[in-house]
Amino acid sequence: MKAIYKGIAGALIGFVIGAGGLSLIRILIGLEPWELETGIVVGYLFALCGWLLGVGVWDYWGRGWFGLPLRKYKLTGWRRYFSFDTDHKVIGIQYLFTFLLMMLVAGIFAMFMRTELMDPGRGIMDPKTYNKLMSLHGMFMIAVAITIISGPFGNYIVPLMIGADDMAFPRLNALSYWLTPAVPILLLTSLAFQGWNSGWTGYAPLSVTNETGQVFYNLAFMTLGLSSIVGAVNFLTTVITMRAPGMTWGRLPIFVWSILSTAILSLLATNFVFMVMLMVILDRISGMGFFNPDIGGNPILYQHLFWFYSHPAVYVMAIPGLGITLEVITHFSRKPLFAYRWAVAGFLGIVIMSFTVWAHHMFTSGMPENPLPFMVSTELISIPTGFVFLAALGTIWLGKLWLKTPMLFGLAVIFNFLIGGITGIFLADIPIDLQLQDTFWVVAHFHYTIVGTQIFGLMAAIYYWFPKLTGRMYNERLGKLHFWVMFISFNTTFSPMFWLGINSMNRRVAQYLPEFSMVNTWVTISAFVMGSSFLIFLYNMIYSWIRGSKAGANPWNARTLEWQTSSPPPAHNFATPPEIIGHPYDYGLPGSSHAFFPISGSSGNKQVKD
Amino acid sequence: MRRDVIYGGLLWLVLTVICYSLISEFTLFPLTAAHEAETIDESFLFLIQLAIPVFTFVVSVLLYSIFRFRRTGEKSEDGLHIISNKPVTWMWLLITSGLAIYMIIDPGLTGFKKLTANKNVDLVVQVEARKWSWSFTYPQQGITLKDADELILPVNQRILFEISSVDIIHSFWIPAFRMKIDAVPGQLTFMRVTPNIIGSFEDDINLRVQCAELCGTGHSRMRVDLRILTLQEFETWIIEQTTSTD
Amino acid sequence: MTTNTLHSSRFSQLYINRLGLWLFILSESVIFVALLFTRFYLLGVERAPEINQTIGLIITGLLLVSSLTAYRAEVHIAQGNRKAFMNNILATILLGIVFLIGVGIEWSEAFDHFPPGTLFGTVFFTMTGMHAFHVLTGLLLLGLLYLRGTQGAYSKNDYWGAEATIKYWHFVDIVWVFFYPALYLLS
Repeated sequence: MKAIYKGIAGALIGFVIGAGGLSLIRILIGLEPWELETGIVVGYLFALCGWLLGVGVWDYWGRGWFGLPLRKYKLTGWRRYFSFDTDHKVIGIQYLFTFLLMMLVAGIFAMFMRTELMDPGRGIMDPKTYNKLMSLHGMFMIAVAITIISGPFGNYIVPLMIGADDMAFPRLNALSYWLTPAVPILLLTSLAFQGWNSGWTGYAPLSVTNETGQVFYNLAFMTLGLSSIVGAVNFLTTVITMRAPGMTWGRLPIFVWSILSTAILSLLATNFVFMVMLMVILDRISGMGFFNPDIGGNPILYQHLFWFYSHPAVYVMAIPGLGITLEVITHFSRKPLFAYRWAVAGFLGIVIMSFTVWAHHMFTSGMPENPLPFMVSTELISIPTGFVFLAALGTIWLGKLWLKTPMLFGLAVIFNFLIGGITGIFLADIPIDLQLQDTFWVVAHFHYTIVGTQIFGLMAAIYYWFPKLTGRMYNERLGKLHFWVMFISFNTTFSPMFWLGINSMNRRVAQYLPEFSMVNTWVTISAFVMGSSFLIFLYNMIYSWIRGSKAGANPWNARTLEWQTSSPPPAHNFATPPEIIGHPYDYGLPGSSHAFFPISGSSGNKQVKD
Repeated sequence: MRRDVIYGGLLWLVLTVICYSLISEFTLFPLTAAHEAETIDESFLFLIQLAIPVFTFVVSVLLYSIFRFRRTGEKSEDGLHIISNKPVTWMWLLITSGLAIYMIIDPGLTGFKKLTANKNVDLVVQVEARKWSWSFTYPQQGITLKDADELILPVNQRILFEISSVDIIHSFWIPAFRMKIDAVPGQLTFMRVTPNIIGSFEDDINLRVQCAELCGTGHSRMRVDLRILTLQEFETWIIEQTTSTD
Repeated sequence: MTTNTLHSSRFSQLYINRLGLWLFILSESVIFVALLFTRFYLLGVERAPEINQTIGLIITGLLLVSSLTAYRAEVHIAQGNRKAFMNNILATILLGIVFLIGVGIEWSEAFDHFPPGTLFGTVFFTMTGMHAFHVLTGLLLLGLLYLRGTQGAYSKNDYWGAEATIKYWHFVDIVWVFFYPALYLLS
């Protein structure tokens, strides 16, 4: 906890230095000493630096820049999780808790939204409040979706899977985590400044002309971007350089490939959104006019830059979910991942093509550019996406399906992503999009792709790796109950929204025509059932973590490396560094083995068989 | 194994037939009020028909596998060691690419062409969006309706909307026409449409102008009714308007 | 990043560090790509005629020379010549400071001709400002490098900190090589 106190102190000092220094400069050049939004932006920049330095960057890192000896704290137990710890397993858990908490908070926002939508007129809040709540829900969930698989499981599992003892840059890893608490704090602080009402997309010029709370959204998005870039550098370097001997590219588990693909996207796309968020801030605080048509600025520019990041970001959200799905499906089918190379090619194909499709969000934007190339590229991206389905279906066909909770979630991802993908084809078709754009069809579509793929994938991951993370087994019966309640209520929540979309209910509205009220009431009830399914999940997790039966090193009898070490793994992951001698998915091949541990203390060469 | 393919295929067939009969049983789309809307609904229906076999294929493989290949016996029994299958993968690539390319051409490009082919214009209507109301100007007739509560259009006339915004981005959407386009400050955007039925919001809720781009507090209420008249009624209405404003 | 001795990687720590740095630079260059895109999207090749060409040319020259001195510094430390290394770092820092002063003069003139409230001003101030911010961070890093140098850090066999800072400095220079024609020369 000491680290956090120091971080908070650092943040306060930083804010005072930043905002105070700014006032001083403003007085010196003859301006009013205080201007709210400029003060917030500059103050935040310094507060963020102060927070990071206080929380551990100074002790673990910064002192070295000045030739001072580093200070390392040897904490044990739960205190490690509240400190600037560089162990990838600790960071993974930190990510998991932070973002699960954010997800639950944003889920509660969604419950309030649905309560308002029970009533076609004014329900429990006015439209102004609704817009702000909707924006909060959106941005919280975007932050969650971008991070919640690659952050926790990318950190915890990837080094284990490739046989490394940690990430390539452990301190950078801690830095990327400690940037993230700023995101929810900023978003919630915005409420003290009237919140913001422009949704998670923050389209200019609305975002240039609305309340001060908008600035917090922009700063939060920039901070999140920074964190994911740092993370991406780390993942790429780790996977390229830290693989155990014999872990060739062709033997990399598919989950690692998915995290690698995600990292490429984050690395190359994120700074577009960083820049466009900065432009909005500049328009607001310095009288610049990127998006101000009165001086020749162009609101369409915002959408180009924003979607050039945010479309790839959709794959940043989906690919890790698909990676986990393929991973889990393979182990629980007891059969090699079908067409492994095609699945990898699918991920990489999506990565490359995702940079060519951004303007399909803008078919109705009135952009002067020709929309046809974007329709073509968008429909072509269904081909590499299809490879993922090929791999999944080919794997379960003729397998020996072990229908445990993770497997159920994995299979559900295939179903949900199928619906999400097919409904996306309609949106990619320009004539149909003219009708469906900005309707509930879009809401249903992206909840199917993001919740249906990412969050269901997350659940598969949590149940699958729960024994590895905690050393204990979750309760299977409660897990299955959670699955069925969540799966059914998810579908009854979001599939009626397709009907609403076709029948012209537009999105982001607090009030709507009474003709839609029946379906909306149904959706709201389903949404509450879906929300309550997380209570089962939480109970199961907490109870099992404390009271669950001991799981052992490899309860699933899986072949990948993370299962060939104790649960939870020791400080440097493996007692002896592993050597890779075979494919991770060679189920059904007698005598095959993925890895062995050459020097294993007294017992000589101990071969780990599947 | 051959038996599995046959049974799986049968399941696929049954599911497909069920889905096709379901979509033929129900009215999928709400009221259309323009030629363009019919074109769009045709594309929509065609894509649904194309998507059904894809959807049912994946679902039947999932369902069949779950019931047929679920593990019953010993815990650590493995499946067959099938790494890949060249004919299957290449066939998959061929079929999915074929479908994708087919969709791009029809209904994608053909639909787009149909929508944009007719450049004739009988009537120009200038639409001006602001927070949170619509203004309509008929420049040929010299009529302006500021903060209108109704948009009046003649039937069977090719109408060109010239859309602009005075403050932030809005979106001009008439659900019964199946078309929307953003109103962008500093720019003009266009929409061409030929209404083909007579009616008003009281007859069907899809005959309305709705803002479809988030624009702040009044967004959900930024809506006016649409009334489509016969050409004769429309001309009478024009005369009423010009005499009343003079 | 020299403390990570636990790694059992086949690659040397230096290789890993270099890879990380290059990836970071690749990511950072996206900011400037976005700015160039913005410049051409909003203005085409249009440019304010009042821009001060003399200062532009001088600061461009200075920055290019600073890249050369930074390069010399790296060569010298690789050969173990610490004194020449320190001198070249100092020269680089001074050139960088003069560059920033040049940008400052350019800005004060720009406020009269095309303030941030105009379209070219918007683009000009953001592009030069974003670049100047990177120059500033580069200068801070060079300053730290110099400070550490006076404390006796860096030698022929251990100069990763110097190498990283100098690579970053080259990157900032290369950005300017694209920005200078985009802002000063096009018409």
